[in-house]
Formats: sequence, structure tokens, C-alpha cells
Amino acid sequence: MSGFDRPRFLWAVTGLVYVFLFAPIFVVVLFSFNGAKSLQVLDGLSLRWYEEFWRDESLRESLVASIEIAAITTLAATALGTGLALGTIRSRTRTARGAALFLLIPLVTPEIVAGVSAFVLFAQVGIALSLTTVVLAHITFSISYVTIVVRGRLAAMGSELEEAALDLGATPWQAVRLVTLPALWPAILAAAMIVFALSFDDFVLSFFTTGESPQPLPVRIYSALRFGISPTINAVGTLMLVVSLFFIALAVLLPRLLGRRESGLAVLTGSRTA
Amino acid sequence: MSECAVELDAVTKRFGDFTAVDDLTLRIGRGEFFSLLGPSGCGKTTTLRIIAGFEQPTGGGVRLDGADVARVPPYRRNVNTVFQSYALFEHLDVAENVAFGLRRRKVPKAEIAQRVGEALELVSLGSRASDRPSQLSGGMRQRVALARALVNRPSVLLLDEPLGALDLQLRKQMQVELKRIQREVGITFVYVTHDQEEALAMSDRIAVMCDGVIQQLGQPEEIYEHPGKAFVAGFIGISNLLPATAANGGVRIGTGALIPAPVPDGIAHGTDVHLSVRPEKLLVDEVEDGMASVEGTIAERVYMGTATQLIIELAPGARLVALEQNTARARADDRWELGDRVRIGWWPEHGQVLR
Repeated sequence: MSGFDRPRFLWAVTGLVYVFLFAPIFVVVLFSFNGAKSLQVLDGLSLRWYEEFWRDESLRESLVASIEIAAITTLAATALGTGLALGTIRSRTRTARGAALFLLIPLVTPEIVAGVSAFVLFAQVGIALSLTTVVLAHITFSISYVTIVVRGRLAAMGSELEEAALDLGATPWQAVRLVTLPALWPAILAAAMIVFALSFDDFVLSFFTTGESPQPLPVRIYSALRFGISPTINAVGTLMLVVSLFFIALAVLLPRLLGRRESGLAVLTGSRTA
Repeated sequence: MSECAVELDAVTKRFGDFTAVDDLTLRIGRGEFFSLLGPSGCGKTTTLRIIAGFEQPTGGGVRLDGADVARVPPYRRNVNTVFQSYALFEHLDVAENVAFGLRRRKVPKAEIAQRVGEALELVSLGSRASDRPSQLSGGMRQRVALARALVNRPSVLLLDEPLGALDLQLRKQMQVELKRIQREVGITFVYVTHDQEEALAMSDRIAVMCDGVIQQLGQPEEIYEHPGKAFVAGFIGISNLLPATAANGGVRIGTGALIPAPVPDGIAHGTDVHLSVRPEKLLVDEVEDGMASVEGTIAERVYMGTATQLIIELAPGARLVALEQNTARARADDRWELGDRVRIGWWPEHGQVLR
């Protein structure tokens, strides 16, 4: 039994780490159901902060706006990033290798720099800031994540599958459509999941590129804080958590519903059996 | 129509500074089981990939059924490949994998169903049609890959180390199976392997390759019994290679003894050569008149079941390996002890003088 080999304190350390990770989230969720206005003392359970949130039209619009931004960003960045991964991996040219290297730059650029430069760019070109500019900035920033995840998968797959398709009479385009993309599906879904999560709760980039109203939810919450903290924030935070969990669940379940053994989450966590 | 399924004319393939295939000319006949045999990096797989169309030769011409295919992409060539990794499509079931090629060629649905069924029967997988590849064993996956290629009735089937990933017993079984299938369908097989036993067991002809060049081409018996070069003798089977110099009517080995052996034309007296004799041709302590013979000491004895391998030292550094069958009458490891002086003999025609 391996349980006896492991020192007990490892269990304690693991437990503490999890408490540290999840306690704040737990507190937010718990206090979102608080009957009183206090952020420290729990006084009965109620849904009043959710009702308050629902009555606040601008908060509601912000939640919808954020979901829209994340959804459009996810679709566009996943499509573009996957295309870029396919294009750069099989090509032996120097340009393709250079392009692949450039992909890393958005990952190491401080987000504040990305935000400021996007702001300056839009101002110079003369595009008025709105939800559209937020989406454009998010897509630009997210493509790298998709390409890196999908490229990793493509590299691990090797080129024999595509060659087998060509060998059996598929044109290069059919080979990608009928063989490569189905094999990449879990990786693409995993990438989409990351992009959705990043875009949905992004603050810095959104802050620099958003227009007046409606603002993305994180920016809207930040503005609200200037007028004092209301427990409504807890309700909003809980709702954001629910939306994020919903999409993670989707990424796990979708491949299974379609008869695949491997989920998008398994690609990310590296477990092959999930 | 050409008699040849595959014709390579002075084909060269370079990757940067590395020459994988060097000025290779080759004719493979219709219905032939042809093997490209050689160590890794010898250019055999590159040659196969050139025939399949995955690599463009740097120079030279490729013809399939007499037609130049220089500008024909893989998906329009009438050849199919069994890949080393099998490259099965995991998102499709076995029948869909096998049907893939027929679908691309817009074969009518009823005919697809019938041909897929036949192909799966041919490889004894009729009952696994709706399984996913991941549910199959290695040997079954290999047979799916074979059925997927054969169902298209290609003019040439290319096989890239198809049995490499199987364990020994299954490999032996599949060798027989592959040979049977090839006879049944009558398709030209071009088989790449580094396993000399496999090549000897299955091929009609073998091309032994090294450094991108064919070292010897011939039938299995010819390659084994009469290797034309020291490399071929060494690569195929266990071979005894004694350094020697060519002399009148034979060769002079390091001990100074003159050994009778057929010296090929074109090897002048005094040339440095190798004398090669297969281990099973050596007779220990059973020398007859007219045999070439040398004396030595038993240095090592390895029991191998059906036979015992004796390593006999003629002089320091000069050793011969003899393979003695463990017959009903006697076992070699009962007959000789380490350190025994023995006389080894062989018929002169079994000695090969190689440059």
C-alpha cells in the first residue's frame, strides 16, 4: 500500500494548499447569499443580492457583454489559431519557423503594455472604442494560446496520419478536414476553453480598449468599487464562477457525448484516461 | 504496358548535405515480393517514400506501371502504404478506416460495403468491423492497416517495417500470413525491413542497401549463400569474416595457411580480401578429403536449443563461429569442452572470397 510510504505531513500540506486556494472563493459564494449587508458577518440566507444585481440594468448588460466578448473571441481566436498552427507546423520554410517564434511574444508581453499599445493603435487609426475594439484586442492576444496548444498536439501526432490520408487518395484539404481536425478536436476544445476563461475575466486589456457603455463585467465591477463595496459584488463574482464552470464542464463533456474518450480537460492536465 | 510495376532511374535524394539515396536504379516486376533490406539510415525508407510520392527525388526518374510519376502527388498514385506506426484513424471504426480510400474514389456504396467486408475477411477481422482501433491489439491494428491499403487494389503495396512493433511470435506468424495474402491478391509488394531473417523468409528478391546504394540485389538464397561484398555477408546472418590475401587457387589467412577457395575473376594475387564461411557450413572434427580445413581451440560454447554455437579461436584475434545441430545422435556441448583442440573443415565452394 503506497499510503503507508507517504509521510502524513504531505496530506496536511496538500490540504492547506487547497484551503488557501478555495477559501476565498468559498467566502465569496457564501456571502453572496448573506441576508445582511455586512461583508464580515453572516446573517441568514437570502437571494437579495442576486435580485439587486438583476435590478441593476448596467451590471446585467455588462455580464451579457462579457459573455458575448468571450464567445466571439473564442470562436475567432480558435479558428485563426488552429489555422496558424496547421500552417506553421508542417512547413519547413524559414518564414514558418519565424512566425512560430513570433507567437511567443504576446505571451511574454506584460498585459499593461499590450493594453496601452492597443489603446494607442485604436486612437491613431481612429477607431472609436467600443465592445468591438475589446473583441479585436482579445482575439489578437488569444491566438497565441490556441496556436501553442494545437501545435503541441500536432507535433505529438507526427505527420504519418496525414500522409496515410494522402496515400489513400485524400487531397491535402480532405486530409486536414477528415483526419487531422478530428484528431485535433480535444486540443482545439481545450484551447477554446482557455481562451474563453482568459477573455471572460480579462481586466487590463478590456480596461484600455472598452468604450463607455456597456463595459465588460470586470471593468464595470472595478468602476462600481469607487462608490463603495456592495455585497452585490459577491453575487456577480459567483455568477462569473458559474459561467466559467459551465464552459469547463462543456469542454469535458462534449467529447464524451460525441463518443471520444479524451476530453479537452485531459489534454490540459495531461491525464490520458479522463 | 510495361512489365515493371516500379522503375527507378538514377534516383538521388539529398537532405541538405546528407545524401539519403545515391544514384539508385531499380526495376521491380509485377507481382513480385521485393524487399529493401538494410541498417537504419541506409535510405530504404526514403526510397519507399519516393515511390509513394511523399518525397520528391533530387534527381532521377520514377515510373509506376511504365508511367512517369514525377509530378503526380501521393493521392493520385495507384500505390498504397502500410505505415510503421499503422497510422490508423482513431476517430473512425475499423470498417470506416478500411473504407476511407474507396470513399475518396467515390466507389458506389454497395461496392464499398462488399469490398470492405472481403478485405476484413482476408485479414481475419470480419467480426471486428465496428470496433475502434484503440480496442484492438497490436497485431490486429497491423492487419487493419493492411486491409485499409489492400482494399484499394493498388498496383503496388508499400510496407514500411510493418511488423517492427510486434513481438517475435506474432511477427513470425504475420510473416507467413503476409506471404499468403500477397500470393492470394497477386499485388506487387515492396517491403522495407532491417530484419534479415524476415527478408529472407518472405521475399522473391532482396536489395541490400547501405549508404543510399544497393550493395547487392538477388534472390534470398543468392544473397545468403553468395554475398558479393563483405558488408552483405556481415549484415545477413552470422558470418565468419577472416582477413586474407588472394593467392593461387585460394587465399592465405593470417596463420600462413593456404585455404582453397574460389577466387572471383578480377581479384589479383596479393589483394587484401576477406574469406567468409557461414557457421552452419563448418564441420567440426569431421574433415573429409578435398575440404578446406584449419585447426583451432574451442573458446566459447553457447547452447541455443536446436543448435550449439561454438566459437573457435584459430590464432589470437582470429575466430570462427560454427553452428552444430543438436541432433538425436549427439549434442555439441557434450562432445566438446572449452579448450579442446579441434579441426574445422568446409567444402571450398562454401567459402566466399570478398573484397
